[in-house]
Amino acid sequence: MKSNPFAYVISGLFVLLAHCAMLANILYNGNYEQIGDVWSLAAAVLGLDLAWAILMPFFRQHTHTVDFILILILNMSLIFQSCFGGVHLSVKHMITCIAALIASRIGFLVCRDHNWIARQKKLIWIGIGLVMIVILLFTGSRSMWIDMGSFTIQPSELLKPLLVMACATSVAEQQKKHKLLWFNVVWENLILLGITAAICLLQWWCRDLGSIPTFAGIYAAGFFMRICYPKAKFSKKTLIGAGIAVLVIAGIGIKLAPAYVRDRLFVDIWSDKTGNGYQQSQALIAIADGGWFGKGPGKGFLHNVFAYESDIVFSTISEEWGLLFALMMIFILLLMLAVPLINPPRSYYHGTLAAGVCAAFTVQMALNIFGSCNMIPFTGVTIPFISMGGTSMVTSGLMAGMLIASQSPSFGKLPAKKKRPSARPAVRKGAGA
Amino acid sequence: MENANLILCAVTAAALDICALVLIFAAYREKSTAKKRWARISSNMELVEPGATYPLGCDEVLIGRHASADIRIPDLSVSRYHAMMTVSDGVWTIKDMGSRSGVYVNGVLVKEAKLRENDIINLGSRRLIFRRRRDKHEK
Amino acid sequence: MKSIKRTQRIITLFLLLFITGMAALVIKIQRESPFYMMNSDKHELGMVYDRNGEVIFDGSGKTQFPEGSLIDLGNLIGDDKGQMSNTLVAQNIDKLNNYSFNAGLVKEGGKAAIYTTLDHYADRAVYNAYMGAKGCAVAYNYKTGEILVCTSLPNIDVTKGYEGIADFETGTLISKALYGTVPGSTQKVSTVITALEIMGADKLFSKSFTCTGHYTNKNGDVIDCHNTSGHGEQNIQQAVENSCNPFFAQLVADPDMPLNSIKKVYSRLGYAVNGEEEQYIDIDGIQCERASTTLVDSNDFNTQWACIGQGETLVSPIQLMMWQSAIANGTGKMTMPHIIDRVTDVYGEVSELSKTTYSKQLFSEDTASTMRQILLTNGANHYSGSIPGYTLGIKSGTAQVKNGDEDNSLLVGFVDDPRHPIAFCVLLEDRYSTPVTSEQIVSAMLNAICN
Repeated sequence: MKSNPFAYVISGLFVLLAHCAMLANILYNGNYEQIGDVWSLAAAVLGLDLAWAILMPFFRQHTHTVDFILILILNMSLIFQSCFGGVHLSVKHMITCIAALIASRIGFLVCRDHNWIARQKKLIWIGIGLVMIVILLFTGSRSMWIDMGSFTIQPSELLKPLLVMACATSVAEQQKKHKLLWFNVVWENLILLGITAAICLLQWWCRDLGSIPTFAGIYAAGFFMRICYPKAKFSKKTLIGAGIAVLVIAGIGIKLAPAYVRDRLFVDIWSDKTGNGYQQSQALIAIADGGWFGKGPGKGFLHNVFAYESDIVFSTISEEWGLLFALMMIFILLLMLAVPLINPPRSYYHGTLAAGVCAAFTVQMALNIFGSCNMIPFTGVTIPFISMGGTSMVTSGLMAGMLIASQSPSFGKLPAKKKRPSARPAVRKGAGA
Repeated sequence: MENANLILCAVTAAALDICALVLIFAAYREKSTAKKRWARISSNMELVEPGATYPLGCDEVLIGRHASADIRIPDLSVSRYHAMMTVSDGVWTIKDMGSRSGVYVNGVLVKEAKLRENDIINLGSRRLIFRRRRDKHEK
Repeated sequence: MKSIKRTQRIITLFLLLFITGMAALVIKIQRESPFYMMNSDKHELGMVYDRNGEVIFDGSGKTQFPEGSLIDLGNLIGDDKGQMSNTLVAQNIDKLNNYSFNAGLVKEGGKAAIYTTLDHYADRAVYNAYMGAKGCAVAYNYKTGEILVCTSLPNIDVTKGYEGIADFETGTLISKALYGTVPGSTQKVSTVITALEIMGADKLFSKSFTCTGHYTNKNGDVIDCHNTSGHGEQNIQQAVENSCNPFFAQLVADPDMPLNSIKKVYSRLGYAVNGEEEQYIDIDGIQCERASTTLVDSNDFNTQWACIGQGETLVSPIQLMMWQSAIANGTGKMTMPHIIDRVTDVYGEVSELSKTTYSKQLFSEDTASTMRQILLTNGANHYSGSIPGYTLGIKSGTAQVKNGDEDNSLLVGFVDDPRHPIAFCVLLEDRYSTPVTSEQIVSAMLNAICN
């Protein structure tokens, strides 16, 4: 903030303005019984905006664009989720939004200094191992949820930011080659490959097939960054070999897939409109019915369909707010991922963070949106920040924190000058939420 | 009523659009801030040899003859992957990456060395000066 | 710096892939949203018009049609009740909906409509000409492919709904022109075309066979002629005019007509030979059955009958009519029929315009012109009295159905007149118990279309 007060204030004002316009739309167009519902929603949204804008300068960072996009998205999401099927503030979603904001701070503080985090590499691996053990012990082989009484958490989500961190911290190891049989290998690359494979197998075991592409995407982003690292020397042969291996594994995967997965891969939703294809066909009808400008907040029909607030949320938003607005919501999300294009990360570590987060978010969005619109098989994946779901929100927050970290990196102490040196980040353990 | 609905939708969408534009604008403003901050992080250093100036724009700068090197020195006496420079706590470090002719800092052969202002680095037959960046390019 | 550039490239790659997907999604939704809407319970259907602008279907149900005025079209045009699936409205219902993604569902004043090529006046006249007999009649313009008449009896008045559906006569809910029927001697057109393709006109005309009223083939089976006293020695022209069964049986058994060549030409004509996979002729979404037949051996009783028009041969009247277009055009290519002339969207703007299309080459131009001449001669010699006023190429057929208990009468042909390029097929079921003849129906049809 200190370095660029003008941009800071203007960004904050326009974020407020965008939220006000949405709230005005609800006030005049929305479907509510008591006007108090709208005011309480407005108070929540604008209060969150202001609190964020006031609190942010207390964190020592010098770029704030991602933070503002984050609060813009989160409050949009709060407004969307509060409007489905009638306006009333969704307190649950508001709490998860605040949790996501806190998570983004944690993510930022943990990830901004690559020298420090590189020394904690083993902790990340242990963290991944612990989460995997928790999944093995507590979720059971056909479920991805741990029931904690009043709420459930999805531990596999936590693996996403951890995997991004694992990829980012090991990117600088490319010159430490060892001879293994007749290959020159980098131990950490093998470890990373092993971790990814283990995660994918575990997800397979849990039947959480939708998240496998996300992990594969994160790994791919990390893989590309490793190829780019100085003297990584990946030969074309290795690359082609890796490509063929991926294809073969994918082919075997589809061959061995259990029957219900294959049913999902090749389902004609229109001939099974009331059975397996119900969600998707209703989702598509809702988009068609909403048109460009939608029916108005709270006036949709799709909130009667299962998973309206998570798996087919794009259609629900499309129906109530219009396809135009839904596309713009996606555009804002993409804008957040595109900020590193404007203001580039200055090291391979921070670049890998940005690329990994970009991969995770785009793959998740693609699986959710294209899946619910019947372009690819339908999987229960969430759109980051938009879908309801506590674990998903928190992990998305952590990953947004990594983006912020790549924007405001720290390379140890600053050389002593007029200004006082920035302190080491407070040491906090891992990414738990 | 229908029209009012439509106009309001359009206004909401427009507000979001403008907000997105403002955020892009802010990102560009912050780009220059980030550049200045990088100058502080990197102590504002650069590498110079007669006829050429190489900025140190990011961490992990690769020096070598290979096409993928950040600082590319097309000279056969320089290895393809010759040396890498990293920055931490505002101090640059040069690291030999297994080059044939070695890295000499002020005439001393080193594997890894912290650099100070105006150090002279020899890579093969090339001689580079590590110095504070001048504001305008001097030829 | 390269690391910066590479990071940015990877991020750009992911973003671009995603944006490409989003663009594809938006285009897909734009194009398919009318289909999605038809799967919901919210429709505002528009009108279907005939070629003169007369309403022949009103999706809003507001038009009051005169009692029974649509009875001739019921099972072809259909409705949105879902009772009949192979109909114009059922197959094109998403085009009829007053919905577009940009306009949404328009409740009042939407202009989505289908303008058909049908001539309701002529269609009704043909329907009346049957005088309650069963059958079907179809006619189209063999130059443009516009279907003018397509009626089928018995038929249903869709404005009255489906009360008492259990008591409907069989065939009420399907347009018979679309489904295979025993072609009878109209099959001989295909057989003559086949012979012309295999041996050429000169050789075929030089051949003559004797008919004594019946013919015993090499396997010892007897093929009877409808003329029990026999036609004597005939050439191909006379045989066609006499519709002589023994002649054609001997032609099929002739060593110059190898069975494999027959099969090849039949396949080219569009027959599914010996249980090949049957395909459909698509007429603006309406499915029309293709011909099918079984050919086993040149001396086999059933194979010979298949080429004469009994046995296991089944051909839809529309298919018979389409072959006539290939003959009448003299090109050997069928003009593909269409029933939709143009479709308008919600705003009344034309969103689809029909085009005349042709099939691939079925037989050579020489064959077409020879066949054309044979049929024209037949028409001039035998039909100028019963169907006066037209230069006709024509072939009749009598098909035995229900194990020989009923005889269906068929007439296929074309009008050789550049002002009225009409090809037609008329099927009259159980000819001996009806007050009309198929010639009278053709005459009424041509009079209604041409005047």
